[in-house]
Amino acid sequence: MTTNLSGKYAIVGVGQSAIGQVGGVSSTNLLAIAMKNAIEDAGLTNKDIDGLVSRGTDEIYCHHQKMGELMGMNVSYSNSLDSGGASQIMAIMLACQAIETGLCNTVVCGYGRDTWSRTRSPRSKMAVDMVSQSQLGLEFGPEFGILGAPVDYAFALSRHQALYGTTKEQLGHIAVTLRKHASKNPLAQMQTPITMDDYANARWIVEPLNLLDCSLLSDGAGAVVVTTAERAKDLKQPPAYILGFGSHNNLRGWYHNDHMTNTAAIQSSQAAYRMAGLGPKDIDTAQLYDCFTYMLMAELEDYGFCKKGEGGPFVASGALDLDGEIPTNTSGGQLSEAHVEGMLQILEGARQLRHQYPIERQVPNAEVALISGHGGRTVCHSTLILGRQPS
Amino acid sequence: MTEANTYNKPLPVPSPETEAFWEGCKRHELLIPRCDKCGSHWFPPSILCPECLSTEWQWVKASGKGKVFAFGVYHRVYHQGFKEEVPYTVAVVELEEGPRMVSNVTGIPPTDVKVDMPVEVYFDDVTPEATLYKFKPA
Ligand SMILES: [Zn+2]
Repeated sequence: MTTNLSGKYAIVGVGQSAIGQVGGVSSTNLLAIAMKNAIEDAGLTNKDIDGLVSRGTDEIYCHHQKMGELMGMNVSYSNSLDSGGASQIMAIMLACQAIETGLCNTVVCGYGRDTWSRTRSPRSKMAVDMVSQSQLGLEFGPEFGILGAPVDYAFALSRHQALYGTTKEQLGHIAVTLRKHASKNPLAQMQTPITMDDYANARWIVEPLNLLDCSLLSDGAGAVVVTTAERAKDLKQPPAYILGFGSHNNLRGWYHNDHMTNTAAIQSSQAAYRMAGLGPKDIDTAQLYDCFTYMLMAELEDYGFCKKGEGGPFVASGALDLDGEIPTNTSGGQLSEAHVEGMLQILEGARQLRHQYPIERQVPNAEVALISGHGGRTVCHSTLILGRQPS
Repeated sequence: MTEANTYNKPLPVPSPETEAFWEGCKRHELLIPRCDKCGSHWFPPSILCPECLSTEWQWVKASGKGKVFAFGVYHRVYHQGFKEEVPYTVAVVELEEGPRMVSNVTGIPPTDVKVDMPVEVYFDDVTPEATLYKFKPA
């Protein structure tokens, strides 16, 4: 027996904290602000919430309990997640499942981090260019100088270049276009436009990735409120109906099979498209997990916006522009708005469907938004499809 | 060989499942597990075969020949021990027995490394207690 939940639930409130180089607030408290803003956006109070699914910096034990404490909530359902950047959509999936099975009615979901404060702020105790002790106490990596997040995506890009002839110049279009989007977002961490020359001259991090291929180090949090489509009708904002979701985790690893170039986004997107009864041609805007330019390009292929191997020419064609084939990461993404592990992409998808943006930021006639999450040990993937209408 | 008291890079921290592998490296042998039941090899070493879940398996000596599956070149220094090494090449190497392992590729300028390039293992006795497996062009 299958139950199709498409259109039965909705995001009814969205909120964020200050984002970017914030400083002076811990990750859980940034998330508390985002949750408050999401709950108030929906026209609700903390007394109306009976479910909570959260994630924060990974060392916080029983994260949801800490959040409930800060938010003054006892709830009938709560949990915290552990799938990296894929978790934030998975939280919304769990919320729908919990409501469907009668565990609760109205769930707040969110993620917060204080990465800029920890690594780059003047008050940071961690020296720049150092890595955490936990990353060093391992084998099959640190002893070879394999450290930090970019390397896995450098590996993947080296393969994509060898298999399909993808060029650095093509990837540059992603960085430049997303910065252009961020330049219209007054809250974005990086608003100064960049040129293809800036991209070509950016310093290498782990070749073939340079600084502008890498997402930002940010503080920030985002949250959403999920409830039934029925209840959504009486709330303050136009709902973003949850039309489809899916996930897929290539747990055997990024180095296994062809997972680097045929990512878990393939199976995750198929599940979400199937649930929604939609395909790539029906999507008006995409908010894709862009930890690195490479990942965004691979997702464009794996979501079916272009053929496998053609991501390079596709992004170079202007497809990601606001008036392009698939307006993508329209608030600037993690490359330019702020890196909040996919949470801001969820907010941007929902906001585009409200049609409340000034014209220079609004995707014209946006009816359906697709959002992705990716992470863990680079193998967990999740997909969310939102609609302005329930079907 | 680098003198022990000057070697300032991270050393591998073996788990119970990988101690025999690192002991093999000290003897300049690249040991990988091979399943008695289905014949597959895997890496990193672990208690059962990820293909068929058999716990019956042997350590076998890999040929040490393989190819570059994917690679990257570090320019940024993430650890002070590598300050003098940048730019250095890291790679996912696919052994001819099948498993893939991360390592360094040396003996070739980073700009000349290519995906699918044939490589072979060599051993670097970095301290009296630790030997690393690395690869060079075959
Ligand atoms: Zn087996």
